[in-house]
Amino acid sequence: MPRLLASALQLRRDPRMLKLPPYLSLLCILAGVAWLFLLPLDQYSRRTYISENALLPGQVHTYFGGSDQNVFRAYKHEANELVGKSNAEFNDKLEPIIKGIGLKTARQNFTYHAAGQTFSGENLYAILQAPRGDATEAIVLVAAWENVKGETNRNGIPLALTLLRYFKRWSLWSKDIILLITPDSIAGPQAWVDAYHDAHDPARVSSLPLKSGLLQGAIAIDYAQEGRFDSVHIVYDGVNGQLPNLDLINSIVNIAGGQMGIGVALQEMWHHDNGYPDRLRTMLRGMLKQGLGLASGPHSSFIPYHVDAVTLRPFGEGWQDEMALGRVVEGSFRSLNNLLEHLHQSFFFYLLMQRERFVSIGTYLPSAMAVAINFTIMAIALWVKSGQPAEVTTPKSKTETPAPATAERDLFLPLGVVTLIQSLAIIPLYLFNHVPESALTPLFLAFTLLNTLLPPTLAHLLATSNTTLQQYHLIQSFSLLLLGMFLSSLATLNFSLALITGLLAAPLSFVRPYRSTAAKVAVSVLLNAVSPTAVVLAAAAYWGTDVTTVLREAAVGWHVCGTYSPVVVYPRHAQ
Amino acid sequence: MGQLLSFLWLSLLSICVFSSSTSAADYHEQLNLRPLPQSALLASFNFRSNTSVSEFEKGNFRFFPRSLGQILQHAGTRELHLRFSLGRWDAESWGARPWDGAREGGTGVELWAWLEADTDKEADHKWLTLTNALSGLFCASLNFIDGTRTTRPVMSFQPEGDHSTTTNMHLLYGVLPHEVVCTENLTPFLKLLPCKGKAGIASLLDGHKLFDASWQSMAIDIRPICPLDGECVLQIEQTIDMVLDIDRSKRPRDNPIPRPPAGHDLPCDTSKPYHSHDTCFPADYTAHQDWSLTQIFGKTMKGTCPLADPAVPALCLQVPESRSVFVSEGVREKKNPDRVSRCFDIPPSTHLEMVLPTPDDSASISVTPEAPLLYAERSFTGHGQERGGVQTILRNPSPDTEVEFIYMESLPWFMRIYLHTMEARVAGQSHANKSLIQQVYYRPAVDRARGTQLEVRMRVPADSTVFLTYDFEKSILRYTEYPPDANRGFDVAAAVITILDPHQERQGSVSGRFAAYTLRTTSLLCSLPTPDFSMPYNVIIFTSTAIALAFGGIFNILVRRFVAADEGPEAGLAVVLGRLKGRLMGLVKGAVKR
Repeated sequence: MPRLLASALQLRRDPRMLKLPPYLSLLCILAGVAWLFLLPLDQYSRRTYISENALLPGQVHTYFGGSDQNVFRAYKHEANELVGKSNAEFNDKLEPIIKGIGLKTARQNFTYHAAGQTFSGENLYAILQAPRGDATEAIVLVAAWENVKGETNRNGIPLALTLLRYFKRWSLWSKDIILLITPDSIAGPQAWVDAYHDAHDPARVSSLPLKSGLLQGAIAIDYAQEGRFDSVHIVYDGVNGQLPNLDLINSIVNIAGGQMGIGVALQEMWHHDNGYPDRLRTMLRGMLKQGLGLASGPHSSFIPYHVDAVTLRPFGEGWQDEMALGRVVEGSFRSLNNLLEHLHQSFFFYLLMQRERFVSIGTYLPSAMAVAINFTIMAIALWVKSGQPAEVTTPKSKTETPAPATAERDLFLPLGVVTLIQSLAIIPLYLFNHVPESALTPLFLAFTLLNTLLPPTLAHLLATSNTTLQQYHLIQSFSLLLLGMFLSSLATLNFSLALITGLLAAPLSFVRPYRSTAAKVAVSVLLNAVSPTAVVLAAAAYWGTDVTTVLREAAVGWHVCGTYSPVVVYPRHAQ
Repeated sequence: MGQLLSFLWLSLLSICVFSSSTSAADYHEQLNLRPLPQSALLASFNFRSNTSVSEFEKGNFRFFPRSLGQILQHAGTRELHLRFSLGRWDAESWGARPWDGAREGGTGVELWAWLEADTDKEADHKWLTLTNALSGLFCASLNFIDGTRTTRPVMSFQPEGDHSTTTNMHLLYGVLPHEVVCTENLTPFLKLLPCKGKAGIASLLDGHKLFDASWQSMAIDIRPICPLDGECVLQIEQTIDMVLDIDRSKRPRDNPIPRPPAGHDLPCDTSKPYHSHDTCFPADYTAHQDWSLTQIFGKTMKGTCPLADPAVPALCLQVPESRSVFVSEGVREKKNPDRVSRCFDIPPSTHLEMVLPTPDDSASISVTPEAPLLYAERSFTGHGQERGGVQTILRNPSPDTEVEFIYMESLPWFMRIYLHTMEARVAGQSHANKSLIQQVYYRPAVDRARGTQLEVRMRVPADSTVFLTYDFEKSILRYTEYPPDANRGFDVAAAVITILDPHQERQGSVSGRFAAYTLRTTSLLCSLPTPDFSMPYNVIIFTSTAIALAFGGIFNILVRRFVAADEGPEAGLAVVLGRLKGRLMGLVKGAVKR
């Protein structure tokens, strides 16, 4: 044993050891990516199941239909007359209808400023008090007048009204049911949820005059399509990549698919053959949405408050009518109504790859962790390297004990540079969130230029101020150490963001001070290609939007929804 | 002659004794029906009986239930109030509460009693006896009213009965907000009645209908009453108030599912331009105003209770005079001079049925309810599992009268309130108004031993809304202290608001006034940080551990220098010995030199 230890320690001083970390690092990255691509396989993903037994999805008969359809048609006539009218006008029209059902109504005004624009409107909401209950718990039915794409929710609003009228007849509700009608899909629900939890700024969002108990769940109806539909699309991404409890999605899948025979799609995968490519595509789309962390529907604002929520959007040409969607909502509400406790049993961290297949955090986390670890490995390697004397000392005779081969480390400059570079990020964060929309693109271009020029300038500055190789190593070591730390903690909160950032930042691990000009140019081109600005440009080009829209969305997200996750560390330093 | 006279005297005496005993021990019952807006119907059942205190002490019970009487005697209880409630009173639509709120409780079970005891400790002991005995009698978890759920209100409650000032009385108050009131509580309640549920108005009471009500409250009040001339009597009053949804009650019991009606049965608004055979804008909600006793209660009323005082009409109905009411044969209708109510004289053995057809004009459906003195609504503010706040919105609808009241909260110990954050603010003003809160009585909680008691005497100016807010911190419980279904949260009892009568002074009470109106807010659900050993919790713990381990390793590598044992300076016994040897050698050499 001592011999083994001794030989291990001998190995430690072997110069070949220091050559190993880059390969180890690369191996980590490759392993992380390979792991990700294994996930859609049957051996790695699991079938979904209902964890909370109280939900009992699909166990009740649903009775919505019959003459309720006559009422729906009448409400639809009313709603059609309101298309194109102002927010206040349709609230004035809808409020008496809701009061006629026998519910209490209230309104709420809100105004947000983002990217030089004003988002204002008036929410209308009604509370159906649980007939025998106390105001301790509530479930929310959301119908936005306009969905995220800007289409009018022509069928969703009448359907929500008809459902409420139908729910009023039942006496079995143990929770209050709140109907929330918002003018848009992002700002309105956000204002309402903030005010419900008293987390709002009273100057911009008014307080709610009428309240109920703890919110236990929310379902949004987004039914802009005319005519009959084929399947339901469940949108579940929340703000900052947070997700609703998997039990809620599973229940709806169970009710829609199992009980009503309506297909269910996720992540805009309209056709899903449950094969490997489709599963992978669904998963990657989900990861991209999660990584962006933007609100994807009226339900998104509820999730940060630990209110599990999804949006249901019918799509396709089929033979299912509005009443069928109504029955899905009825079944889901009956399930939520059964809950004695807040949804807590199932998963909050998962990747869905088909409506009945998922991987949980325990399975997918190694992927992002492996990518994050590569930075840490390189950081340690660089630290060790920086501690070695500049010239490799020739091994002396074995009888003599070698002097400890450690050089003094000059820490001031490296730490200073890393701190400065990291804190510089505050400037674009502030600027992009506070300039008007028209100035966004020029600012972005200016910033891109700056972002391209800054590293060479910095490199030149460092080079002229005769920085030693050791200091270069230390700068890189500290940057990578920080990156590895942040990414591994981020991976537990928002896996996708951590993985995407990790992969984009991967070249940083392998950058070395190069002597040849060709290598310098090649490396700087590569680094610029994966820089945040280039990625934004590429993404905007790929999805066919302009940069302004992307930036405006981000600014709106920052101001309205409190999206913080894109503000991730993205260190760049000179080579 | 003398014999005859003495006989006459005797008979006269016996008549006197008999008549006096009937006045001391009597029983009467009454049912009040009042249609409310939005197709609701308030049914108030009231049963009242007396027994003289001396008879009670001797153990002679006539109308007074023996089971309850013995418990009271055993626990030294002078006055007792017990409430079982469910649902909420919708003051916005239904107006002022029945009995001015004096016969209702918050959701769950509420109990308060005045016990005769010399010391607090003795009172606590008697209270324990009382709660445990009542728990058995009423099939409710009253035995769970322990020290943490018991408070001793100072200002909010006042005795209703007449008590001699010499006795040392203790008021104890306990509440169980999570208790679900159901049929098992109704059965013992009906057993206390002289006619049980067999005859009279109690024959209408049925668990299915009572617990399908939108709001219901069962109350038992026992108090000693001492008229100025005569003997003290012990009075027991049992009350059941319920608000029934007429639409819902009319559904047949064998088919209670609200299936959509056939298209042609749907009441439509035919004035809409798009109205057709398959498109129907539903007509106003205030349809279905016709009802009958059988539809509402599922059965007819079985005559009257033969023990009840026939002078008190058993059934009264509060509808406008113009509304026509049809009753069974033999029942006589008496319209009251106030023009909004009428009572019925019912022959003892009639099966009473009453039918109210839909009136021609909507004005005569129901009497407009009178507005309450105050509207109160309480909710939580904030989110997260560390801190929270409570906000009570108090609205005084009166245009010219200020309302003064006592707001009482009894909070569980794990809600630690910050008293300094308590403030009252008039709506529309940005800063707190100090003059609204007049007096605060606060007894802080002791962890695991007693709850917080907060009584605030405050006022709401005429025609204004006041926000009363305070913040609190949530404690972390020990894992064994969580109840089953811990993720549901913890129910927080309703706040009791006692409005003081500005005109009537009361001697000897802390507030100095009589209560004019009582109301309770809804209860709240407080979610505490709950240990959850399922996935997310595990994941976070696991990853944190992994990160901590990794950090520890990296930190070690960064700050330490590892060398092999043969490389470093020698350590151990040999070193010490060598050093010792060297020193010895030095000494020896020194000695040699010298």
